[in-house]
This record gives sequence, structure tokens and C-alpha cells, in this order.
Amino acid sequence: MSKVMTMKEAIERFVHDGDFLFIGGYICRTPFAAIHEIIRQGKKDLTITRSNAADDFDMLIGAGLVKRFIATFLSLGVYGLGRCFRRSLEKGIPHKIELEEYTNLSLPMMLMAGALGMPFIPVKDMVGSDLLNVKSFMGEDKYKVIVNPFDGTPTLVVPALKPDVAIIHVQQADEHGNAQVWGIEGDCKWGANAAEKVIVTCERIVSREIIGKDPSRTIVPDFRVVAVVEEPFGAHPGYTPGFYDVDFMFGSLYQQASNTEEGFRAFLEEWVYGVEDRTAYIQHYIEKFGYAQFRGLWADFDYSYPVSYAY
Amino acid sequence: MSAAELDYIKPELMACCGAREIRDGDLVIVGTGFPSVAANIAKYTHAPNARMMQESGVYDAQPKRPALSVGDPCLNPGAAFIGSLIDVMGMFLQGGKVDVGFLSGSQVDKYGNINTTVIGDYGNPKSRLPGSGGANPIGLLAKRVLIIALHDKRRLAERVDFITTPGYIDGPGARAKWGLPEDQGPEVIITNKAVLRFDKETKEAYLESYHPGNTVEEILENTPWDLKVAPDVHETPPPTAEELRAIREIIDPMRMITIYLKRGYV
Repeated sequence: MSKVMTMKEAIERFVHDGDFLFIGGYICRTPFAAIHEIIRQGKKDLTITRSNAADDFDMLIGAGLVKRFIATFLSLGVYGLGRCFRRSLEKGIPHKIELEEYTNLSLPMMLMAGALGMPFIPVKDMVGSDLLNVKSFMGEDKYKVIVNPFDGTPTLVVPALKPDVAIIHVQQADEHGNAQVWGIEGDCKWGANAAEKVIVTCERIVSREIIGKDPSRTIVPDFRVVAVVEEPFGAHPGYTPGFYDVDFMFGSLYQQASNTEEGFRAFLEEWVYGVEDRTAYIQHYIEKFGYAQFRGLWADFDYSYPVSYAY
Repeated sequence: MSAAELDYIKPELMACCGAREIRDGDLVIVGTGFPSVAANIAKYTHAPNARMMQESGVYDAQPKRPALSVGDPCLNPGAAFIGSLIDVMGMFLQGGKVDVGFLSGSQVDKYGNINTTVIGDYGNPKSRLPGSGGANPIGLLAKRVLIIALHDKRRLAERVDFITTPGYIDGPGARAKWGLPEDQGPEVIITNKAVLRFDKETKEAYLESYHPGNTVEEILENTPWDLKVAPDVHETPPPTAEELRAIREIIDPMRMITIYLKRGYV
């Protein structure tokens, strides 16, 4: 049975107030179209997680939809610090989020533990740092120090994470949800497989036969997936390898806008509430900045040597 | 190169200082900016077998322009390996394979502890910073750690407000208490005025060399702890023609390094 649906339907059906969401991406393949739809639908009291969060998480926080954030980092990269993230933690605008902080080693390990059905996992980082001295909503369950049963040494362990829903953007998927990526992965595979349900958004839907031509690229198999949304340019202003580049102009535009509360609200009005869906968003982009600017983001073709799995 | 061409800017000198810490054959985990430029200078001069990886999952990238983030599109085509955070941070870094980690910090103290989390009180921050990201595991698990910082009394501290990434924590023996090898940790703090190296016994950073144009007095005035001065303190050797050629002709022909001038690295 096909799981193909619109973004509106996927978010309406599978994301609920209070859910714990893993949102994949690493500047690479950020599921921005899904983020915008979540904001449009006003899903609230969310707990969100990913290693190295960026503008998409900043936007969810600024929109007031985030209650809790299991974090390692949030910045706008070359554009500087996350303005909404800072306003939330420094001034409580629109409200102060609850933050539980880990690192880019421990958090992916916690997601991997969740995916593997393990209760917790030992990690070698965080020791000696103040990250062990600050605990938020996870309280004493943020970490434990146990005795290594094999050699008697003290060992830091962190709990498995099992999000309610994972949302990932991939290059291609079939209608059942077999999802394929190439390029920088971040914690996408483990985050998706740790979740109860997976929403796959993709640049293109391909046939099951095409998936089978290069099955080693599949990071989430169809039986884990509840919805497939074809959303070209779904990661803009982030990038998708083989499809389009980072839009530095737009990233800077968001940074400038989000400098003030008013600017941030105006940005949401124009680019999120003011457009019905991703198609309208792209149309608005082309009307505002011209087709040449849009076309300039498209990736060149530089194909690999064809792979063959034949025997 | 003529004498005029050997004029250089401070960020170039700082990148060269980083490059000189990298040995041939080192596996270096790099971020963007200084770390990436420094590691590449090493590769194109004295350390042709140095190899680089980004925490995002990339090994031996062949970028056609300097990467603007560790997830930059230009790191994808041509890389020898692209995996996940678990591959690089778990398999390679936690697995003990990484020789050099290269970090910068909003605040760095005399034991090489780095703060990238918060200025002021954690619960009620004056300034909220991005957080650890990969810095904490890189600082704890790379064999040698190089630190870049601005040299003033705000960026350097007797004690950081928040230890995001431990250096030598509170001095000799502190890393061992946490089961960390004593012979690993920060090697140098490279600032826009000086190179501070960590004393093997006291684990405290001392003044090893002052950059051309900077003086020991000025450096002492701008360091908030009682900075020890090496008996053989000397001027930092300026960039060589070979190092400058690597930066300007191969690594950064677009001169993106000049962005650091605006950030105060002068």
C-alpha cells in the first residue's frame, strides 16, 4: 500500500502536541518543508532532538512550539548564534525552553542505543565537564556512573532515546518508504531507526525497482515508515547533495530577520504562514528573487561510475 | 617570493602556528576556518601524509573552496569516506584513532578548559552560546588538542564560567581521576598575540613565543592569570614563503581568511 501523501496530511496524522521528535539533517538534508508545516499547524509542547541543530530548530523555538530540547549545539553556523534560541534562554521569549545538553558523540550514541533496543550505552566523553553538573527535565536519569563489570573502572552511561516520530529528508524513496541517502549523514540513520514512526520527505519518489538497483544506500526500510512526501527543494535553505546547494543569501536573510522578535514574526508571516505549502514557497521565492537566483542553486551533474549488484 | 609578498596578516600567522603543531601522518579532526586552513598548510608543506576528517562523517574531503561548516556541500564530492556522526565521533574518535583535535573557544582558561556554553550563570545566562557540539569529545579523546582564542582578559580566563570541553580541568592528576590518559590533552593556545604552551608538570599554559609586533609586557597585561614566561621566550617565526604560497595559491585563493580580521584577530 502506498504511503505517499501531502506534507499537510503527514503532519496532521502523525505529529501530535507533546510528541518527542527526532528531526534529521546536518545543514545537509534538513527537512525544512516539514518544519514549516509543523509551524503552520501549530503543533505544540514538542520535545525535539538532533545533534548540531541549526536554523530549523531556532525557528521552531522562536515559534513557541518547543517545550523541551535534547541538545548538543545550536547555531546558525557562518551567520552566527541562533537568535531565537538565545532570546528563549536569556529572556524567556516567547518562553524559556527546557534544555538537556549532551554532545555530538553521546547524543548519537543514545539514538543508536534506542534503535538497537539497548537500555543505555557507555560513552567516553563528557567526564570532567560541567555538562555533568547541569541537569534539566531528565534529572538523575541524564546519566549514571556505573562500575564496568569487566574491569571495575567507573564508566559513564547515558540512556537510550526513543522518539515518537522521526522526520527525515532524503534524496529518494519509493512509495512504501524505503529511503535512500548519499552524502553527509549526521545522526539521521540512527535517529530515524530509534523512532516509533518515521516520516520520510524526499526530493523524488522512485520505483521499488530503482531502490533495488542500489540497496546499500537505504538507511530506513519501508516497514519503519508511516508517510512518504515528495517535496522537491524540501531542505531549502539547506542543501541536498546532487540536487541543490546551500542558499547563503537566504540563510543570511533569516539571520537578519531573526535578530528581532518583530523581524522573526514578519519572516514567519512571509515564508511560513503566508504560503500554503512548499510549492507556494518556491513560487514566492522565484517571484521575489528571480528565476536566475533559484536556478543558480541547482547542483551540477557529476555521476559516479555505475554500481552493479549482479552476480 | 619578494619581501613585499612576505607581508602577512595575523590570521595567516596563527594558521601557520597551528600547522607547525601537526606532524606527518597525523589524523586530524578539523572544523572550519583556522583548523582547516592550518591542517591544509601542514599537508602542503611538512606533513604531506596528514589526513583530515570532519565530525559530520567525512574523511579525506577534496573541497574546491574552503568549507564554511563541517556539513558544507563542498565536503561531499571527492571525499574518500562519508558516514555518520557515529562513524567519525564514535568509531574513529572514541575508538582512539584521532591524533589531533583543533578547537576554538569563546572563553579559554589557564588549564586549557574551554567554554562554548554560557557566559554568566547557566540557569540565567548573560550570553547563551551554542553548546558543545563535537568539542567536548574532541577535547577529551583526541591525543593532542590545539586551541585558538582571542587574546584579551575576557576571552582568556583564570577559570572559565562553564567547562564545556575539559582541558587539564583543575591541574595535574585531574584527567587521570576521570580515567583519561595523562599524556593527552591541550598542547597550545594560539592567540592573536602569542603561542601559549602547556607545561607538562603543572599543566598550566605559559608564554612560549610572542608574535612579531607584540611584546611580552603587552601579553602579560592582557592575560588574566599570572602567566609564566618561558626562559627561552622568543618571537614567533613569521610565515615562510612556502606556507604563504600554500595558503594563497592552493587553500584559500578567495582570501576568506581575511574574515578573521573583522573578528578581532589582528
